[in-house]
Amino acid sequence: MTPSLHLLVNGVRREGAVPPTERLLDTLRWRLNLRGTKEGCRSGACGACTVLIDGRPRLSCLTLSHQVGEAPILTVEGLESDPVGRAVLETFVAEAALQCGYCTPGFVVALTGLLKEHPGATETTLLEGLQGNLCRCTGYSSIRRAVTRLSEPKR
Amino acid sequence: MIRSDARLKARGALEFGVDLDAPGALHGVLIRSPVAHGRLRRVDLDRVRSAPGVVCAIGHAELAELLPSGRGATAHPAFPAAELRYRGEPIAAVAARSLAEARWAAARAHLEIEPLPIFAQIEDVFPDWPGAGEGESEHVNAHVLARQGDVEGAFARADRVVRGKYRTAGIVQMPLEPHACLARVDGETWHVQSSTQSPFGAREDTSAILGIPEEQVVVEASWVGGGFGGKGAGLLEPYALLLAAAARRPVKLQLSYAEEFELSRSTLPSIIWVESALAGDRILGRRVRLLLDTGASLPGRDFATGYAIGFIAGPYRIGAVELEGYAVKTNKPPFGPHRAPFAPQCVFAGESHTDEIARAAGWDPLEFRERTGWREGDETPLGQKVGPFGLQEALERARAIRERWKKELPAGTGLGLAVGFWSTGTSAGGEVLLRLTPSELVVETVEAEIGSGSVIRGLVAVAEEVTGLPREAIRIGRTDTARGPYDAGVYGSRTLGALGNAVGDAGTKLLQELARRIPGRGELRLEVIGGSCVAVRNGSRVTVASLLTDSERATGGVLARGRHYGRGGEILAERVLTGGFYAYTDFTAAVHLAAVSVDRETGQVRVLRYAAIADAGRVVDPPTYRAQVEGGVAMGLGEALTEETLWNASAELQNPGLLDYRVPTILEVPPIEVEVVEGFLGAGPGGAKGGGEPPVIPVPGAVANAVADATGARVRELPLTPERVARALKLL
Amino acid sequence: MQLLAPTRAEEAIAALLDGPEGRVAVLAGGTDLLLDLDEGKSSPEVLLSLHRLPWRELTWEAERLEIGATLPLAQLEQDPELARRIPGLHEAVGAIGGVALRHQATLGGNLVRASPVSDLIPILLALECEVGLLGSGGERSLPLEQFLLGPRRTALQRGELVRRVWVPALPSAFRWQRVRPANDVSQISVAVAFAPKEERWRIATAGVAPLARRAKAAEAILRGPSPGEEAIAAAGASAAEEAEVRQDRRATDAYRRHLLRTLVLRAIRAVATGVGGQPA
Repeated sequence: MTPSLHLLVNGVRREGAVPPTERLLDTLRWRLNLRGTKEGCRSGACGACTVLIDGRPRLSCLTLSHQVGEAPILTVEGLESDPVGRAVLETFVAEAALQCGYCTPGFVVALTGLLKEHPGATETTLLEGLQGNLCRCTGYSSIRRAVTRLSEPKR
Repeated sequence: MIRSDARLKARGALEFGVDLDAPGALHGVLIRSPVAHGRLRRVDLDRVRSAPGVVCAIGHAELAELLPSGRGATAHPAFPAAELRYRGEPIAAVAARSLAEARWAAARAHLEIEPLPIFAQIEDVFPDWPGAGEGESEHVNAHVLARQGDVEGAFARADRVVRGKYRTAGIVQMPLEPHACLARVDGETWHVQSSTQSPFGAREDTSAILGIPEEQVVVEASWVGGGFGGKGAGLLEPYALLLAAAARRPVKLQLSYAEEFELSRSTLPSIIWVESALAGDRILGRRVRLLLDTGASLPGRDFATGYAIGFIAGPYRIGAVELEGYAVKTNKPPFGPHRAPFAPQCVFAGESHTDEIARAAGWDPLEFRERTGWREGDETPLGQKVGPFGLQEALERARAIRERWKKELPAGTGLGLAVGFWSTGTSAGGEVLLRLTPSELVVETVEAEIGSGSVIRGLVAVAEEVTGLPREAIRIGRTDTARGPYDAGVYGSRTLGALGNAVGDAGTKLLQELARRIPGRGELRLEVIGGSCVAVRNGSRVTVASLLTDSERATGGVLARGRHYGRGGEILAERVLTGGFYAYTDFTAAVHLAAVSVDRETGQVRVLRYAAIADAGRVVDPPTYRAQVEGGVAMGLGEALTEETLWNASAELQNPGLLDYRVPTILEVPPIEVEVVEGFLGAGPGGAKGGGEPPVIPVPGAVANAVADATGARVRELPLTPERVARALKLL
Repeated sequence: MQLLAPTRAEEAIAALLDGPEGRVAVLAGGTDLLLDLDEGKSSPEVLLSLHRLPWRELTWEAERLEIGATLPLAQLEQDPELARRIPGLHEAVGAIGGVALRHQATLGGNLVRASPVSDLIPILLALECEVGLLGSGGERSLPLEQFLLGPRRTALQRGELVRRVWVPALPSAFRWQRVRPANDVSQISVAVAFAPKEERWRIATAGVAPLARRAKAAEAILRGPSPGEEAIAAAGASAAEEAEVRQDRRATDAYRRHLLRTLVLRAIRAVATGVGGQPA
């Protein structure tokens, strides 16, 4: 049985039949063709699949699509439409806070969620919040530089 | 903008291997060996085939009918006929409409396997270093022995001998993107898109495994979500192609993380003995002994033992040296390359030992390295002359950093120094095609950007330098192995060196060709005016559009092919007594400093500061180079402190996942100070040396030396987990 | 597999009772159960998701905090009073995962899964929490120590759900040791709380025995709000001696025993001196 599902993704209402135990990650990537959200460990240990649900960072690999309900979902593809998301994206680009780019969507989405929840957060708060997002290329150095810029008080 | 791919990557807009899809594509799953050693008695796939959604299931028995006639039997076929050599070895494969169905079906395979004795650890083969005549064993893949000078005599004359036994752990590359590919078979053409560091390497391996001529295999790289050596050979491609041939439909094959841990060829444990004969501040002699676990590697696939062992001896002036090692065959998965293959482990042993010598003799570890470190013109144990080498200048920089840190850091902080050296490679060859159109310059290559920036930034920077065009007018045009020029792969710190030289060669030829079309004597350069490429010579400007021949207009521009086939150095054959040893190409130094605090009650180590000084030859693009050093250091910190594959007595991996295989998080990696020494030129463009591998090499040694400095306790086993440090502190 | 997501408690209880016995899995944050489903360790017929139930209370009472079973840990952590009033719980929640995982995981899920390596159970044991269990006959409450029967085993009866947890606001501390400090499974963790009215110390440890447990002999050694160093040392030694200590791929028994003593001392001192926070 594949019950029907309504999702609000990046401001667009989507609907379709989705099996009850399908992960949000798979619905986004393979039914909605939103492959910016990356599949990593599928066990909540790498953060590559992070999306915002109701503005809060969530692991789409450990979320059933049917659990989301009416809550708006923001994926990396929708980040530019969000003022905080746009600032995070611009900073990551300016600092080249990425190398292979595979973990990057998870980082920019998680950081956007952290900044939305904690406006004016300190660098420590942001770094601490990112401990669930793994990067194997950058040594986190350029990411740290981006975080420093984003945590600076806005003039 | 620092990187031209940054905007698309930040928005998740690029297609990686895991993102590949095709209409009607099936999903493949490998059916893998549940035991580390056994003989296959029966493979029954009937229950797999009858599972819902399954389109095909194949094993060794199906190979002959799937492959062109008479070519089913290759030396090492995709699926083994009888002997299973390691746990997780693919025995069969299934393709189904969905991944879930394929997974479910794969679990229904009926396998009858006769168990065979399992050799899980090095000690199962050699309980200790094998004495004379004890090294003969069917569990040895390679035995290497080289000697320089009178080693016995050196030890007889020594006034002090320092000995150490070191152990290193298995590690995995663990790129965030697992291996993934999409295969289809069109008539005679076996086509696969893959997340690969080496399309031609994957083509060669696929051809050998399947017994299909190389020209009939076409490999096309996708964007690659990190490689670190793990994606340099053909791995999934043959299986995906076989499934596609059997199903007559495209097949997507992707490893789960658990599979990634078992199938991605990586570094396995080792045991290393080093002993040095000393007189005053001179090292009269050194013996290095290495037992390297090479897993279930096939004979002839050992590339490490005779290469890595030299890194244990170190870049030091030593009167007499003996190097001896065994590549030990166990029933772990086969050994493979991992960013500076096995060098961080060797250098951990060598540099721990160097500090132990210095401390035993009461010398400052930095000064001791200054006195004994190689300078250009010195000789390696194998008789090769050391080329331009920035070690001494890097040590000088390290001294300044150390003095500053001593003032800034609290008492009790441990400071550790380690020297890595590496032979960054330009010897593996490659070619590129430059295509100059009226509006842009395209660098055509088969290579994907794997993250380091060596392609998207490095090759573009070289093209800028040689042509004069701005980076905005230069683009990488990725192509496949059928159309593209040959290249060895994005590995071994060779991309900027070898392919960069090919770009330089092609650019020079391109300018020469244009110069033929514009009369005059002056130097010709290219620039962009109002979106058009323009050639400038003798002050006159001519658009590229007006220089094209009719046929170039039709085919899209002026073409120039560039090549680079480098030469390695040479070693003295008489010093090699047994086995294969290799010469180095560019001698590249990396000098690192770590500052750590150690919790003396728990053994927990925290890295407070880190500095890396790189012997770059010439830096082509500073931000990209710095990023490579930073990333290498972080990977090295994982190897130093937390990363370790754990194997039980049945050669089963106990921690195939990120929960218990601990790569560093953002909280474990401190800000990294990067300094660059230039002027000791290598063979890359303008004297550049490769930058990807050297920065990972000294890290475990630097951290171990810092822990010893902080506590007086020497940990001789990687990684330096809190428990190992606690034992060294004699807390337990 | 069928997914049910009731909006009312009665519907949820009814779903539990109506479903085939042992074949209904309750889904809260999903950080553990969904992995079991993937690995085939669990294959229920009905998945009962609690995400639509209004069970996300966070209410300070006079001397305790009521926490709804499905409140994500991140929201608990963000409570402005938590660090001051229950420092040990704040430290324990802060030791778990990254931001996304904390938005996913729930206190109720953590208790019901009764994982041997839970970082939350020891602090909740030391604080002597009460667990509210909702069944068809109404809600009953149980001390946490009686709720936990063993690894992955609880006193939940058929037709019951964890509804809420009451956490006494007490001076407390949480200390842990991991191979990788951030986002790792603890080799051991230790929680200590002090109940001023009864002048009682409470110590709980995890990662040592098959399930987190109290170290009552060690507790009995400590007296008054500021026990002397001698008593603290004796309590640490006692905790290390009394425990049955396991050995696995994360640590040997000898190292665990050593850590136990060290971290018990540190946690007691932290409470006694009113200093919170695992040193960076």
